[in-house]
Amino acid sequence: MWFRIDFHSSKPIYEQIKEKIKLLILSGKLKEGEFVPSIRYLAEDLGVNLNTVARAYRELVREGVLEVRRGEGYVVSKVNLEKIRTQLETELKKKIEDCKKAGIPLERILKVAEEIYRGDAR
Amino acid sequence: MILRVKDLKKFYGVKAAVDGIGFEVEKGEIFAILGPNGAGKTTTLKCITGLRKKDSGEIELNGTFTYLPEEKKLYPHLRVKEIVDLFEKIGKNFNEKNCLEILERYRIDLNEKVTNLSHGMRTILYLSLVLSENVDLYILDEPTWGLDPIVRNEILDHIRSLTFEGKSVLYTSHVLAEVEKIADRVAIMKEGKIILTGNLDDIKSSYGLVVSKKDLNGYLLKTLKSGEKVYLVEKEEIPEGVEIEDATFEDIFEAIVRGERNDR
Repeated sequence: MWFRIDFHSSKPIYEQIKEKIKLLILSGKLKEGEFVPSIRYLAEDLGVNLNTVARAYRELVREGVLEVRRGEGYVVSKVNLEKIRTQLETELKKKIEDCKKAGIPLERILKVAEEIYRGDAR
Repeated sequence: MILRVKDLKKFYGVKAAVDGIGFEVEKGEIFAILGPNGAGKTTTLKCITGLRKKDSGEIELNGTFTYLPEEKKLYPHLRVKEIVDLFEKIGKNFNEKNCLEILERYRIDLNEKVTNLSHGMRTILYLSLVLSENVDLYILDEPTWGLDPIVRNEILDHIRSLTFEGKSVLYTSHVLAEVEKIADRVAIMKEGKIILTGNLDDIKSSYGLVVSKKDLNGYLLKTLKSGEKVYLVEKEEIPEGVEIEDATFEDIFEAIVRGERNDR
């Protein structure tokens, strides 16, 4: 598991880690019952601090995305995909509001959505 | 808790170089002190290490420490090997093998005289010595001074890996990009005082930028050509409906250090 962390972003690093892991689960790249890397390995691979990864995992456990296997590590829980999807939809809503403010017509947004979804089906 | 500093004061003449600061460093944590030149960062470290006598306050250190000074001087006429031998004698739990490995990786000739090394090489030499000591707390003053970006990243990784063994790091820097990569918690110093401290991720998420014609409760970041002003405001204090731009750590640092605060 590897992804880019943007250290200069205003988004906290632990939040970035949480989001990326959720996306990996949604896209099916991380499956229920699968182990995620240990805190230390992920910290080393991403080049972030132990405390930061520990915080991301802790919060993912609290949100029911990961669970602790004593002495073994962290596994992906039986995730409530619907909940993660709702979060993503909230973000999309914000973006669409920005587009609306920018004067982008509905038709164009629908067209983009269509293109993305059709491209997916191919 | 490995280090606790409470109400520390240090005067140079009548001027307070360190003016009543306090902070704690936890085990396994990287704590960064940053701030503009002359803020009192180095003096703080010197008081902790005992190189300067504090005028008042408390310093509680629970464990062993080592120190990388701001000026990476060492003995200019000794050869690298002689310096390593010296550390073998005076260093704290010094791991010579580890030190020699670092020197080899960066191709520093053991027979070279210190005076012939470049700034960056001298920093690497000093780091190889200090990081090869086995202590509880590593106090590092500008540890990446003079290093090129690739070496700097490797050194930052090395510093981070110390915490994997439960070590703690207290360091100073004025390179924000570096602090963002490595610090768990930060304290921003200005004129001898700590003006902002906390977990770096928490600091990032607690501030936003607001553009306004009116004066706002916050720190001025910049004035626009239109006369409107950009303020750094704590998100909690921003009324609903007001548009918030994201604030980077650089914005936060700049606005708070400049310190043009408007309190309505």
